[in-house]
Amino acid sequence: MIKFVDISKIFTVKKQRIDALKHVSLEIRTGNIFGVIGFSGAGKSTLLRMVNALETPTNGHVEIDGKNINKLSFSELRKVRKDIGMIFQQFNLLNSKTVYENIAIPLILNHIDKNEIDRRISRLLKFVELSDKRNAYPAQLSGGQKQRVGIARALATDPSILLCDEATSALDPETTESILHLLRKVNQEFNITILIVTHEINVIQRICDQVAVMERGCIVETGSVLEVFSNPRQQMTRRFIRTVIPDKIPAIIQNKLKNDPRYYRIIKIRFLGNNAQNNILYHVNKNYSAETNILFASVNELQKTVLGIFIVQIIGDDLEIKKITDYISSHQIQWQEVRL
Amino acid sequence: MINLGVPYSQIILAAEQTLYMVFISLAIGTATAIILSVSLMLTNPGGILKNHIVYTVINTGVNIIRSVPFIILMVFILPLTKILVGTRVGTTAALVPLVIFIAPYLTRLFENSILEVNKGIIEAAQAMGASYFEIVWHFILPEARGSLILSVTTGTIGLIGATAMAGAIGAGGVGDLALTYGYERLNFPLMFFTVIVLIVFVQIIQSIGNYFSAKARGY
Repeated sequence: MIKFVDISKIFTVKKQRIDALKHVSLEIRTGNIFGVIGFSGAGKSTLLRMVNALETPTNGHVEIDGKNINKLSFSELRKVRKDIGMIFQQFNLLNSKTVYENIAIPLILNHIDKNEIDRRISRLLKFVELSDKRNAYPAQLSGGQKQRVGIARALATDPSILLCDEATSALDPETTESILHLLRKVNQEFNITILIVTHEINVIQRICDQVAVMERGCIVETGSVLEVFSNPRQQMTRRFIRTVIPDKIPAIIQNKLKNDPRYYRIIKIRFLGNNAQNNILYHVNKNYSAETNILFASVNELQKTVLGIFIVQIIGDDLEIKKITDYISSHQIQWQEVRL
Repeated sequence: MINLGVPYSQIILAAEQTLYMVFISLAIGTATAIILSVSLMLTNPGGILKNHIVYTVINTGVNIIRSVPFIILMVFILPLTKILVGTRVGTTAALVPLVIFIAPYLTRLFENSILEVNKGIIEAAQAMGASYFEIVWHFILPEARGSLILSVTTGTIGLIGATAMAGAIGAGGVGDLALTYGYERLNFPLMFFTVIVLIVFVQIIQSIGNYFSAKARGY
C-alpha cells in the first residue's frame, strides 16, 4: 500500500512561492491501478514523484507498506527505488544503447549475472512483443515501441509498484490503446500496483480501478472509477468526464426546446450496471399520463459494467411530473433535473 | 624526392615529438577534464549534487587558466615545470604546460557535451536506484559519448597548434621545425611540407573523430 500522509510541497522559483501540493492525503491499495487526473500544473506529477522520492515533501510523508520512505538514508532509499519501476512521457531511453542494453541497465545495477540478464531480457521482450527489435536503437523505433522498451526496462527488476508519468501523452490514440492494454496485462499477470498520472480521461476510463482528480495542488475528488464517473461531484470532474461520457443535450434539440410552448420538465436519469432497469421508461409511459420524450441517450462501458445516461423531457402538469420522478426514485435510480 | 634542406631523420623525429606531446598531454588532459566536467555538472546549481563551493572553485579555476594565452602560460609556469619534471626545456618539459592548457579547455567542451544529455535520463537513472557514480558511469557518459569524442577531436587539433608554440622552450616537433628551419632559414619547401603534414594530421584526426562519434551515437 502506498500512503500519502498530509503532503505539502512548496517550490520557490525566482523568489516566487509555488504551492505544488496542499495537504494531500491518499491511499493506494496494493494491486490496484490508480489514476490521478488533472490539467498540467495541478501537481499530479509532483505527487507521483513523491513515491520514489524524486521529490521530497515540504511537509508530511509517504509510506510504502508502512515504511516512511522520507526517513530513509540514501542507500536504503536506493533499495526502495529498485522495487519501483517508472515510465515516462518522453520514454527517457538511452539513445546510445540498443533495446537490449537499455533493458539490461537496471539488471547491471543490481549486479545480476550475464546469463540471468540474458534470460530475463528475452522473457521481457517477449512480454512487450518486441523480440525482433532486440538489437535496434531507440532512434529506429516508433513512440509506442519506445514506450514498450520503457515498460520492459521498468519491469526488469520485478518491481511491486509501477509509476507512469503521462506515459501515453506523447502517443497517438491507437498506440495509447495498445500501451494501456499492456499496462493492464502488467497489473494482472504480475500483480503490480500501478499509479498513473495523466490528463487524458480515457486512460482513467480504460484501465483504472480508482481515480483521484487534482486541481491546483489539491485532490478535489477521489473514489472508484465507477463511482466517480457515474456520479461526479465536482465541476472539474464533470468537465473531464463529459469528454468521454457525454451527457449534454445537443444544441439543435436545445433550440427546439426553447420554442416548445408546452409545460415540461427535463430530467437526467443514470443507470448503472443492471440493464433490466432500462425498461423504466416503458413503465412510466404505461402507468402515467404525462408524455415522455428522449432528448439524449448514451450507454458506456465502464469497469466491465454499463453506465447509461438518458435525458428525458416530461410533458405534463407538475403533479404528474412529480408522480413520475417519485416512481423513478422508488426504483433507486439516480435522477436530477436539468435546466436549459 | 625534393631536397627539404634537413635530413629526413630530423623530420621523422619532429613528427614523433609532436605525436608524443599531443598524445601524452591529451591522455592526461582528457582524464582530468572528465573528472572536472562531471564535477561541474553534478555540482552546478541545477545539478543532483548541488554544491556552490566546489562548483565555484572549479568554474573559476577553469576560467582563469583559459584566460591566459598558451605562450604566456608556458613561460609563466616554468618554475612549476622545473619542480615536476626537473627541467624547464625539452619535449617532456612541454607536457606540463600542454596538460595545464588542454585540461580546462577540454573541461569546458566536455561540460557542454554532458549538459546536452537529456535530464530525463538522469531522472530515469535515479528512479532505478542508481548511485551517483552509477548515474555518471552507466547513463551520463555513455549518452554523452558521441559528443565527447567530437570534443576530444577538437581538443586534439587545438593541442597540435599548441605544440608548435612549445618550440619556444625547446620542445621540438613539427611546428618547431617549420619555425626554426622553414621560417628563420627561409626554407620555403620545408615550410610548405610541414604545413601539408599538419593538414594531413588534422584531417585524419577529424575523420577518425567523426567516425567514432557517429558510431557511439548508435545510428
